[in-house]
This record gives sequence, structure tokens and C-alpha cells, in this order.
Amino acid sequence: MMTCEEVLRELSNFLDEELIPEFRAQVQEHLRLCRNCTVLVNTTRKTLALVADLFVAELPHGVSERLIERLGIH
Amino acid sequence: MLNADKPSDEELVRLVQQGEKPVFATLVRRHERRVYWIIHGILENHADSEEVLQETFLKALQHIREFRGESRFSTWLVQIAVNEARMRRRKYRSGLYDSLDEERDPDSPFRPRELADWRPNPEEEFVREELSELIQRAIRSLPKNYREVFLLRDGEHLSSEEAANVLQISIPAVKTRLLRARLMMREFLAPHLKLRWHDRMLARIQRRGRSV
Repeated sequence: MMTCEEVLRELSNFLDEELIPEFRAQVQEHLRLCRNCTVLVNTTRKTLALVADLFVAELPHGVSERLIERLGIH
Repeated sequence: MLNADKPSDEELVRLVQQGEKPVFATLVRRHERRVYWIIHGILENHADSEEVLQETFLKALQHIREFRGESRFSTWLVQIAVNEARMRRRKYRSGLYDSLDEERDPDSPFRPRELADWRPNPEEEFVREELSELIQRAIRSLPKNYREVFLLRDGEHLSSEEAANVLQISIPAVKTRLLRARLMMREFLAPHLKLRWHDRMLARIQRRGRSV
């Protein structure tokens, strides 16, 4: 059984789906039984989703237009 | 041949290299948001970020013939953006400031403290600008080295290898800093987004299977 520290160490790889299936299953088994690690995984995943939203957010007013103008390609 | 639905970045770059300069506008539209938010994450203020955004795309256009497709266009662009933003930052801040910005003991294990569950839909509770400001504040709270890795991996979605190339650090260093940055971001946001006290009590009672 994986410990909480081991899950913490593999958190990024787990979220990025970069763990080999055997490790992944071990993390999932731990999460089934550990509420703290489940919260940790879910809230970190949510953090990344919120950040992803920011990166496609509208630019401040006029930035896009001024950029095209500066490049002289309008 | 251009893919009629959505030409790839590399196809568009080839056209610009052949002299079709207006095609560059499509590349700008595709990448300006992510590139802006990366620069903003490094510089922390809007006016400088807008100027550096313009300088980044100007430089990319001027040097477009030097792009040989050895990396993705987005990685090449981000490399220019990070260099320009770092130069701008150095112009305004002394080296002393940068060294103080680093975390004191990066190798010590990070222990998450905020382990209460979050409210299910913060997007619905916050005004969009408020949530965006909160995320920006969280990004600003990261030490510089972690912040750059975080912006490239979780903002621009570069691979660990691509981020390592842009930042000239090793892949394991990218991975270590990314994990730490993600945990610090989560920790910063938790007090703002966690379940309120009465919801936590309710959830605890429900978990124990008691009727309310």
C-alpha cells in the first residue's frame, strides 16, 4: 500500500497521466481509502483547470488591436 | 498543401517565410493570449506585459526565416517571450531582488496544510474578473524559478522536455519545480475556495451516515 508521502511525490505524474499502469492503480487504491489525498488530488486538479481558463481569457481591452497595428499586418 | 479546415502553425509559418506577411496575423491570434499571460506572469504588470508582447511578436516576425521547425512554433515563440520578459525584468530589478525571490530551502519536503474540500463551482460564485485576479495573485506568489516552470507547463502546456529546453534546466528540475509550484498554487487558493464551515459540518455528518 502506498503511503501519503509517496502519493504526494507522484501527484504531478498522476495528474499528467504519466504513471505506468501498475503505479497508477496503486495511487487509485490509496485514494479510495484516504480522504486527505483525495482532496489533495481533486483540488490540485481544480487549480490547474482554473489556471487553464486564465490562459485563454480575453486580453485587456485594445491589446490585440494595438499588437496587430504595431506589426503592420492589418 | 494547406489543410483547408485548420492549417497547422508550421504550414502558416512556411507561407510567412515565402513572403505572405499578412498570414502572420493568424499565428498572432492563435498564440497572443497564452504568450501574454506568460509574460504577465513573469512581469506582473500590464503596461510592461503589453510592450513585451509586441516585442516578442515583432522579433518572431523579423526572424521568421530562422525558424527551421526543429521545435514547435509555439515553443520557439515562448522562448522569445521568456527571454524578452526576463530582459525587461532585469532592467527594472537588481540581482539582489531576484535572489531574495527564491525559496530558501527548495529541497525540503512540502507539506500541504489546507486539506478541506473545495466548493464545487467557484466559477459560478465569483465574478470572472475576481477569479482571474485571484489566480494571477496566486501565480505572483510563486518564487521566480517555480513560476516560470509553472507558466510554461500548466499555462502554455509545453512538455517537460520543451520547458527544460526553453529554461535551460534539466527535465528532473522541471518536474520537481512543477510539483512544488502546483502545491503552492493550491495552497494559496484553498482559503478562498474551500467549503464554508457549515458546508463542511454538513459533509462530515453525511459521511458518517447520520441523518441531519
